[in-house]
Amino acid sequence: MTWSFLLDQFATQFGLWWVILPAILLGIVVGILPGFSPQNTLIMLLPLTLAVKVEVALAFMIALYCANHLAGGIPAILVKIPGSGGAAATTLDGYPMTQKGQAQQALVLCFTASVFGGLITTLATLALLPWLSQIGLVLRSVEMVVVMLFGLTLIAVIAAKDFLKGLIAGFFGLLIGVIGTDHIYNTPRATFGFLELYDGVPLVPALIGLFAISEALVMLEDKMIVGKEGRAKAVSAQWAGIIDGLRLSVKYWWQIVWTGFVGLFIGIVPGAGASIAAFVAYQQSRLWSKHPGLYGTGIPEGVIAPESANNGVTSGTLVPTLALGVPGGSTAAVMMIVLQYHGMVMGPRLFASNPEIAYGVFVSMAVAYIFMIFTILPLARYVSRIVLIETTYLAPIIILVTVVAAFGERQYLFDMALALVFGVIGYIAHKTNYHVTAILIGVILGPLFEQYLVRSLRISQGDVMILFSSALGNALWALLALSLVLPFWRTWRRKKALAAEQFGEER
Amino acid sequence: MNKAPLGADLVIPGLALAFAAYFFFSIADLAWEAKANGVLIGTVLVILIAIQVVRTAAQVAKGKADLSLAALLHPRDALPRRIGLVLLTVVFIGAIQWLGLTLTLFLGLAAGLVLMGVRKRSQLFWVPFAVAASAYVLFIAVLNSDFPHGPVENAIAAVAALFQAGGP
Repeated sequence: MTWSFLLDQFATQFGLWWVILPAILLGIVVGILPGFSPQNTLIMLLPLTLAVKVEVALAFMIALYCANHLAGGIPAILVKIPGSGGAAATTLDGYPMTQKGQAQQALVLCFTASVFGGLITTLATLALLPWLSQIGLVLRSVEMVVVMLFGLTLIAVIAAKDFLKGLIAGFFGLLIGVIGTDHIYNTPRATFGFLELYDGVPLVPALIGLFAISEALVMLEDKMIVGKEGRAKAVSAQWAGIIDGLRLSVKYWWQIVWTGFVGLFIGIVPGAGASIAAFVAYQQSRLWSKHPGLYGTGIPEGVIAPESANNGVTSGTLVPTLALGVPGGSTAAVMMIVLQYHGMVMGPRLFASNPEIAYGVFVSMAVAYIFMIFTILPLARYVSRIVLIETTYLAPIIILVTVVAAFGERQYLFDMALALVFGVIGYIAHKTNYHVTAILIGVILGPLFEQYLVRSLRISQGDVMILFSSALGNALWALLALSLVLPFWRTWRRKKALAAEQFGEER
Repeated sequence: MNKAPLGADLVIPGLALAFAAYFFFSIADLAWEAKANGVLIGTVLVILIAIQVVRTAAQVAKGKADLSLAALLHPRDALPRRIGLVLLTVVFIGAIQWLGLTLTLFLGLAAGLVLMGVRKRSQLFWVPFAVAASAYVLFIAVLNSDFPHGPVENAIAAVAALFQAGGP
């Protein structure tokens, strides 16, 4: 790969602006709605992508994919309804920022973290592709058990206010996540007799119910979703809010970079995904923060970490797809089908036979991100005004539209009813302070954790010591132990310092 | 002294316990690989619930709390609208396969707005119309997804077919 080749690729991709811009627009519209994942949208648009030239199809798919990942954060911030699993962690600090009248800043942080997190990791992928493709081979089920545990420890973090309630919510979610057939014998477990649950609890209805429907039922208690001060700020939303958001993005540039790489590394592992990456990034960001206690109250770092990781995943999932021919996620699988239809053979040979496609994918992604920042940033000022709509209108629209969206992923009417059931559970959890995010983390990570754990134990014929059998795995265990011990150690140090200070004053 | 209404705090543990019991029942005869993870999670969950029950019982015994469900039902004036919306959603899910996406969404939203206290006729028509029309354009016209079709979708398809065939 030479510089002239790269520049030529960039020029070609910029020339495809006429296909990238509509794809971004469609990706944003579809991404805002929970239930319409990029892979579903691409499947529905297969007749289009199969009919056009391969480079045009590629530019379209990549732009739609990246925009979709970005847009999930918009409803997460404005109305506490994540557009996708990857944006669920964004609600933790994004929505409190909206309630404080900082919706514009939160949206700009979401956009810049997504775009620059995605752009930086894409450029890194371009430079390090041969090495990055090995990560998927190095991380096996043993190591993935520990990666899953990194995400699960967030339950304990969320449970900080009422530890017992948080843990009950998290373990309830984990048990719900076990519903469906097991990974070895395919025998159904706790499916209530519904065939629709044999594949496990679908994520989208759970997401819609726990966040959207429950939130809509709670918001009925007030006339508006934000207070007087927040309304006043939304009414007088000026470009200053956007500039302030940009200032915060520059201030936390390092946060964008490193959490983006968390997303990239997790995205490379086939089967892992944006939800895990976002939760792990949020948990790690809080862990290494100077003020972990402020997470969850509406701080910029709490928006940046999950959003940057969420978009770092986009380039990560394509690495094993192109380099090994193993799709890193369902969207990557759909893209692979389209590319194979056009005669491309995925795997190491692609880089020699069709370098314009192999590297073009990432160049296309970088160009899509550059277009995105200019198209979406001005929207923050206007989109933030959604908080001015009265809950009288917002609640029924949210409930019925998201119930419709629950149908989108698998096209089952059953999923609409399931979303409502989760909505009622979510409402009860909301009102009694059992954190819905803890339930959702369990639902998302539970099946993956079980899959990797059972696979490891199966290899070792039930010997749990296999979990400590690899050097990388042991290093991850040590990091996990450090993650768990560090908060306690810091609290102990703070208390000790405070006590010493008080003792000094008394003397 | 006002007692804390802790009855509502036991609803999620109650649901979780009932589900855990059903889960254990459903996996009783399965191989260890199929139940290892569920048994581990379920056991921890049951222990956590037991602690929560003991904690609540201790508060009630001390006279600091009662088992009222007030936290769940508060504020009372929002309750009828809340229950109404849930029931409306049940009807909506039941009706969508007969009436199709567009018409069900239009009627459902109009009914939802009435339930919320909106009385202006123009708003009762235009808000549901805009949402239903957008849903039709995005999900059916652009994405061609498999949402249930009803009278509206069939009528539009018939008109479109007529135009494609060379006009009426």
